[in-house]
Amino acid sequence: MASTYPQPSHGARVDVVVIDDEDSIREGCRQTLESEGYRALVAADGAEGLDLVKRARPRVVLLDLRMPGISGVEVLEKLPGIDPRIIPIIITGYGTIDSAVQAMKLGAFDFLTKPLDIDQLLGVVDRGLRKYEALVSETAVAKPPPMEAPKPSEPDILLKGLETLGQYYSLGLQDHTLAGELRALEAEAQYHSKVLGQIREKEKAIADLLADLRLVDEIVERHGFRKSALIQILLDIQSQKNWLPRHTLLWVWRRLNIPLALIYQVAQFYEAFSLEPQGRHIVQVCMGTACHVQKAPEFLATISAVLGIKPGQTDSKLLFTLKTAHCFGCCALAPVMRIDETYHRNQSLKQLKAIFSSCASEQASHKESEQVRP
Amino acid sequence: MTKLSTLAALAELRQQLAAARSAIRQSVAICSSTGCTLNKSNACSQAIASELAEKGLEGEVELRRTGCYGFCERGPVVFIQPQNICYLGVQAKDAAEVVEKTLRKGQVVERLLFKDESGRRYKTLGEIPFYKGQKRVLLQSSALIDPKRIDDYIAIGGYSALTKALFELGPEKVVDWIKRADLRGRGGGGFPAGVKWETTRNAPGDVKYVIVNGDEGDPGAYMDRSLLERNPHSILEGLIIGGYAIGAHQGFVYVRQEYPLAVEYMRLALEQAREYGLVGTDILGSGFDFDVAIHRGAGAFVSGESSALMSAIEGRVGQPRPKYIRTSVSGIWEKPSNLNNVETWANVPLIINNGVDWFRSMGTEGSKGTKVFSLVGKVRNTGLVEVPMGITLREMIFDIGGGVLNGRKFKAVQTGGPSGGFLPESHLDLKVDFDELTQAGSMMGSGGMVVMDEDNCMVDAARFYVNFLAHESCGQCVPCREGLRQMLHILDNIVSGRGQEGNIELLEELCEFIEVASLCALGTSAANPVMSAMKHFRDEFEAHIRFKQCPALSCPDLLHYRIEPDRCPGCQLCRKECPTEAVLGKAKAVHVIDQSKCIKCGNCLRVCPEKFLAVIKVPGAAVGQAASAA
Repeated sequence: MASTYPQPSHGARVDVVVIDDEDSIREGCRQTLESEGYRALVAADGAEGLDLVKRARPRVVLLDLRMPGISGVEVLEKLPGIDPRIIPIIITGYGTIDSAVQAMKLGAFDFLTKPLDIDQLLGVVDRGLRKYEALVSETAVAKPPPMEAPKPSEPDILLKGLETLGQYYSLGLQDHTLAGELRALEAEAQYHSKVLGQIREKEKAIADLLADLRLVDEIVERHGFRKSALIQILLDIQSQKNWLPRHTLLWVWRRLNIPLALIYQVAQFYEAFSLEPQGRHIVQVCMGTACHVQKAPEFLATISAVLGIKPGQTDSKLLFTLKTAHCFGCCALAPVMRIDETYHRNQSLKQLKAIFSSCASEQASHKESEQVRP
Repeated sequence: MTKLSTLAALAELRQQLAAARSAIRQSVAICSSTGCTLNKSNACSQAIASELAEKGLEGEVELRRTGCYGFCERGPVVFIQPQNICYLGVQAKDAAEVVEKTLRKGQVVERLLFKDESGRRYKTLGEIPFYKGQKRVLLQSSALIDPKRIDDYIAIGGYSALTKALFELGPEKVVDWIKRADLRGRGGGGFPAGVKWETTRNAPGDVKYVIVNGDEGDPGAYMDRSLLERNPHSILEGLIIGGYAIGAHQGFVYVRQEYPLAVEYMRLALEQAREYGLVGTDILGSGFDFDVAIHRGAGAFVSGESSALMSAIEGRVGQPRPKYIRTSVSGIWEKPSNLNNVETWANVPLIINNGVDWFRSMGTEGSKGTKVFSLVGKVRNTGLVEVPMGITLREMIFDIGGGVLNGRKFKAVQTGGPSGGFLPESHLDLKVDFDELTQAGSMMGSGGMVVMDEDNCMVDAARFYVNFLAHESCGQCVPCREGLRQMLHILDNIVSGRGQEGNIELLEELCEFIEVASLCALGTSAANPVMSAMKHFRDEFEAHIRFKQCPALSCPDLLHYRIEPDRCPGCQLCRKECPTEAVLGKAKAVHVIDQSKCIKCGNCLRVCPEKFLAVIKVPGAAVGQAASAA
């Protein structure tokens, strides 16, 4: 969407480094890129440029081929050593198309001719950034996740282990030395299985964490890395996760470069956000005026007694969280409660219990189907 | 959908749509708004659809899912045209009868019609007392519009106000019209919209913004939700016209996330308008560019305040700031920003289409046009009503609303939500407009109207608003944060029987202080509910403080439930309905309530049959009763 409001920068990561000895080109590029919301840094010669690239790790490098000192071609050759994914784009004067062709052969992504055309510049940089993102996700995909590494299945290992253990036992029964060895081995095996269990747990935790961070990335990207979308981003995380785990907030901080304290301020200010895990089903009882005069407090007391939790609490099975809400705008039907996305009027105790138990059984069958899946 | 790049293309499309419509013999409109969805309107609509398919009527009868009719309590509302038949409370099991009798044979299904207490049935929408006294301008033609289809709106003349503004009037005239129409902001304050528009238009700078405030945080009111779910395009059209008149190229629609359906419909409306080129660059070839972004609120009452809402759009915490410079001059990102309420925007296309004089012909001297109210609480017909400004409270509550529920005695009506006040019976002949209500110590607000009967305790009602405001205070300024907290503390004491002499005077002092010293309107108007309750119902406050009694028998700490042994037949109803198993007793034996287990949910009283009336409320706490946690 072409917006008329300013596009804040794409987070902490530097997008573009411009290496050119001509002041006008260098500064012109920087200003154009920054006005579009990119983070750009500049260097006046090859040596300074390489140093800057090492420190800033940009996604795209705009590079003049003809410079005093280290030439552009040399810089171009050294870039993959710093980060193979960096996208080099060559700036070349009129009549030096040959050198541009040479540069393309050396792995440049594209080239721009002087004098620079702003639209062309932005177009090429944008494509370069996309290419970089594509490379990043490729490399991310290429690395096999730890859970899926090829290995014998756990039952296989167990069977083999038991088999070996059985053989040891038959040996050890007649031999005191061996029996001692065996006990030591057994202890060691137990220790290893414990450690293995811990590793598995950690692997799972890391995989979960990674999934959460990917989710945040996806949401942040959908909102165009805009700082002004913070509340919308948090709303999306909340709706996906049902609460805002700390690591997701930390990741939003890394991605948007908004101070963590500010993120927490927003997360604590609004009713919609929860900084604690919530039950799978959110039960909200409307406390609006219309509901209040139609005995919403009594209705809440009933629900609270049925669920066995007070407003604001979550039950021990993480099944239900009971909350109060300001107003659903269903005032004509007061008193009203909402379970997840469905609204309910006040009903007999039996019906209320039936509603909650159907939610609970939904949860149970959900769990079963999860377990059935390999 | 192809982009409409000229005025003629839109006119041609409208003609095509209207022609396609006239070919349809009959139409069934079923409300799909939140209220009716709760009453299972989805199942009802599916049943009618499959019934139509079975009977082979699909081609002749058009089935439409529409927005709110306002009579949410009796939903699902089904409206059949051209006979104008209005059925209420239609469930899936009624589908076959409706299709067979009404749609095939043209007969009326009597039992689904509205019935008043004398047993009389009313066939058409206009005849029902609830609708008879209304003047439906914003809420008209609900039956013709599916909020998910832009074509429905275009077919009945939608976006013609936009073309009139773009090609006939020009920006200066639009501002002038809104000014002359004397359209006052429907969000609460009643500030003249035209003046606000002019300020933003004349404010220096090229970048300006226009904003729809759909952060309807006022508990007990749902006009904006209903308007958004009924016809989001009319609001969008108003916004585009406003943007054009003011010179803005970016609009925002701020909707509470508590209204998921409204957010979804608005999003869909925006997508469709963009596809038709009614939003975007060079709208209909006029050269005017305008885009809109939707921003969901995250649940904070104070975020509906204009400066707070704007900082929320910037991505910061939605807290108000001191408005030394108005937001219409320095708002979002310090650019001139014009913010109006949903209902105000929805009025704009109507004024442009029908003219200034038409709008001025409705209402009172100081308040023109109509106003949508949510008439709720202890009233027989609850729902959304649209009336001309200047109608009396009595007409609203007793003619349209049908009087107080269950024949109980009227006690008070609360208008204006947490910023408004309570009006007792002596004020029933008050004309409802911005100035009269303010003069009476209440407020128009966004249009919430909660009726209370003799069973409602006014101290508790005042405490309700203070509790709400104390939780919603952003805490930036001391008078509001600490003042409300202290008021809540005192009121908590009074409702639980711990009130002391002097409390009323202390409350009055606090009210005055908050009113004068707070930063934003949340604080400065926070005293209204308490002040008006104390003014009109001082005796109730005194009864709580001096005699530790709640005259309305409503405050749980000052009453207990008891079963009268000589009236209890032992029917077990209340025992089954008690969530804490506090009711003891076998079938056909007298039941008793174990007071130590009772949580005072009142379920036993609610289910005790009228012929027994064995469960009663008794003033004072029961012996051996654990004090409920305050």
